[in-house]
Amino acid sequence: MRASLPISLLAATVLTGCASVAIDENFAEVERFARDEAGSEVRWLRSDAEREAMRAEVDRLLAQPLAIDDAVRIALGYSPAFQSLLAEAAVVSADATGSARIGNPVFTFERLFRSGAEGRELDIGRSLGISLFDLLFLPARLEQAEFRQQQTRLQSSIALLSTVTEVRQAWVDAVAARQVARYREEVATAAGTAAELARRMQATGNFSRLQRAREQALAAEETANLIRARQNATAAREALIQRLGLTPSQAQALRLPDQLPALPEAPMDEATTGAALLENRLDVRIARTDLDRTAKSLGLTRVTSVVNGLHVAGVRNSETGESTQRGFEIELPLPLFDFGDAVRAGSEARYLSAFNRTLELANNASSQVRVAYEGYRSAYDLARHYRNEVVPLRQNITEESVLQYNGMLIGVFELLAAARSQSASVVQAIEAERDFWRAEAALKASLLGQPIVPLTLQSGASPAEAGGGH
Amino acid sequence: MTTRRSFLAGAGLLAAAGTVNRTALAALPEPVIQTSAATAAPLTPPNGRPYDPVVTLNGWTAPWRMRNGVKEFHLVAEPVEREIAPGMVARLWGYNGQSPGPTIEVVEGDRVRIFVTNHLPEHTTIHWHGQRLPNGMDGVGGLNQPQIPPGKTFVYEFIARRPGTFMYHPHADEMVQMAMGMMGFWVTHPREAHPHIARVDRDFCFLLNAYDIEPGSYVPKINTMLDFNLWTWNSRAFPGIDTLNVRKGDRVRVRIGNLTMTNHPIHIHGHEFEVTGTDGGPTRPESRWPEVTTDVAVGQMRQIEFIADEEGDWAMHCHKSHHTMNAMGHDVPTMIGVDHRGLVEDIQKLVPDYMLMGERGMADMGEMEMPLPDNTLPMMTGQGPFGAVEMGGMFTVLKVRRDQKPGDYRDPGWFKHPKGTVAYEWAGAGLPEPARSDAAGSSSMPRTGGRQSVEMTVRKPTGHQGH
Ligand SMILES: [Cu+2]
Repeated sequence: MRASLPISLLAATVLTGCASVAIDENFAEVERFARDEAGSEVRWLRSDAEREAMRAEVDRLLAQPLAIDDAVRIALGYSPAFQSLLAEAAVVSADATGSARIGNPVFTFERLFRSGAEGRELDIGRSLGISLFDLLFLPARLEQAEFRQQQTRLQSSIALLSTVTEVRQAWVDAVAARQVARYREEVATAAGTAAELARRMQATGNFSRLQRAREQALAAEETANLIRARQNATAAREALIQRLGLTPSQAQALRLPDQLPALPEAPMDEATTGAALLENRLDVRIARTDLDRTAKSLGLTRVTSVVNGLHVAGVRNSETGESTQRGFEIELPLPLFDFGDAVRAGSEARYLSAFNRTLELANNASSQVRVAYEGYRSAYDLARHYRNEVVPLRQNITEESVLQYNGMLIGVFELLAAARSQSASVVQAIEAERDFWRAEAALKASLLGQPIVPLTLQSGASPAEAGGGH
Repeated sequence: MTTRRSFLAGAGLLAAAGTVNRTALAALPEPVIQTSAATAAPLTPPNGRPYDPVVTLNGWTAPWRMRNGVKEFHLVAEPVEREIAPGMVARLWGYNGQSPGPTIEVVEGDRVRIFVTNHLPEHTTIHWHGQRLPNGMDGVGGLNQPQIPPGKTFVYEFIARRPGTFMYHPHADEMVQMAMGMMGFWVTHPREAHPHIARVDRDFCFLLNAYDIEPGSYVPKINTMLDFNLWTWNSRAFPGIDTLNVRKGDRVRVRIGNLTMTNHPIHIHGHEFEVTGTDGGPTRPESRWPEVTTDVAVGQMRQIEFIADEEGDWAMHCHKSHHTMNAMGHDVPTMIGVDHRGLVEDIQKLVPDYMLMGERGMADMGEMEMPLPDNTLPMMTGQGPFGAVEMGGMFTVLKVRRDQKPGDYRDPGWFKHPKGTVAYEWAGAGLPEPARSDAAGSSSMPRTGGRQSVEMTVRKPTGHQGH
């Protein structure tokens, strides 16, 4: 025993692995996920030099209008929020590594005096003990630890996915809000021009105060809409800045493209996005892992519920004048009061619960994918409808109104009202495109296993109808 | 061109009344289909009692056939396309290819048999406005006869008892059918010299009609009551209306019937005329007075006569100035005197093709050539020898020429004014400002208290900004 004990301790250390190795492995897994599934790269900034380099790279990216993929890169490689997520994952990973280690051996030392007729007696007892349980179940514990590492990796991937989705949506929101604000400005200009014309017409007696007031009221409402739109644009921009984790000076430098990307020629079809990918969903994989672990631990509990206090120690007693005593000491709690049945029942219930949770999750996941696809598809159809039908029709109405105006069949106020409606339809088209890109991000996230609140299409209020000033 | 299958041999025959079957055709005079909106030459009667024919402005006279001493005409009520003026075609209902239908010319005492074939989607009848006839021939659907169902042919037969100026139009769903252009002229010539009916050298006739056709569309809005946008003579609007071309010294008769929903004061420049007849018959000479404008009320006919003794190009028009404008919006605000500085550019940012109009008045319309909606007519158009005539609708020109041959109705071109007979720009010294009184014309109940004057910035018209 003297020789074999340190050997098993050594073996345990090797088997449970070095904590930093596990952390690196987990990060590599997240990196792979980011590359393969999110099409971006992750940087984990662990030194000032790395941070400086990345900061310079971000500055370089910010020199031109920020594309959506660059926004994702900044978020994954630079934003303190995501860096903090990475670090937290490392903490969890380190804990998992630690959890697989055997409890440290216990060394006990007894030194006893006895003064009697025969003189003083010294009794020295030494024992080096280790939890036999720890040792016996080391393979099982290693397995448990590996489960935890795996969970950590999956959780990190989910966090990454969630970051990517949020950044994409924030970028879409920011670009769209800015675009909307610009068109709202056009609408407000049209209304403002009409109001100014009405003011001059009242001044020369061509309009009554009532007619003038109607045009001015319209302009005033459009100004209110413009203020709202500008506020939305600012808020959406700041939301993106927060997700990217930009410094104040970087925030100032941030420029956005003038418009959202063009709609794809055809939408993704349902078959390729459907059930085939369900197996890959991260949440399903987490639930599976969890179920496996529960199952394993159920088996384990059946044994350990009785033997959980088993403790073994090597003993060496030296007593004055006596030859040294050597031997083992085993401690075993008697199952007199706790027969372990409560622990076993609890474990079984946990397994059942995990089992049903997994079932539920799989069903829900499939439903979520369908909802996400429906949302995506409707958003695509709607955006196309606005682009191909509504906006061209409004444009056509303006063009025909010009012809009518040329023939003095309508007045300039009706012409301006048509222009206003046209711009308002463009606003709706932008909002529909924004919804589409949001839905696209949500669908992608949903396919990979991040439940996203399903898309609700906006109830596009029809643009102000040609009111005219008569 | 007129297509006269059974009456006159000629090129350009059109298949007439496609659904009238062969056996029926043997018994019926073939209807003559008109495909042109030009003024046809007068139709000298080839048979029957002689008379001096009329000229229907932008129209024609229906040929007939004599059958056992009866004058037989065939009118086909059908959907037609009528060119209102070059650049605009209306989808109307009419007779024999046009709206209005052909003028029917007969002689007092003629027995007339008119076959009416209905190719409309709904039933119809014809009422012979102003005629003395048997009650059952008067054409009021339901009252005097059953309506003529689609696809059927009815026969009207009566003696043209009274000489004069008449018209025909449906009396079944008449609001719709007249708004769609169903109407025609009827002239009964006197059989012999009549003490109240003079012989004339030129005899023109036209109907006043009005349509509400949304610019860019083709079919009239039949529910419009007063706010029409096309005021026409024989479904033609200036500059699509032909001119009245006469020889100096001619005695000229113009017969006018009003089938619109408002009255039209018809005015001729350069001459006085007398109303020599109404749809009630010739007026007694002692009842006549000289006029230059005669109001033709709704549902009335007026027959005016004058000696065209003043050479020149004389305007002839309805004196309701909106009726000489063509399609226009009646809700368009007045822009006169409104300062557009700084706004034109703003508007052009939103509507790049925008042009400023109306700041000085509406004469811009006559000068600018801007794209209009499809199938509509510009307002205030027509180019005369001195520039834009700025007219549209119920406007044409009476052209009096000494060298116009008798019986020649061709347009002689613009009048050549003798030297010194055209208004000219004053080139002499500046004139003194006339003395003006501001005391005159105080109101009967002067206002006490309150504001005395309305605050207004009056801007004198200046140059034109923005274009
Ligand atoms: Cu009139």
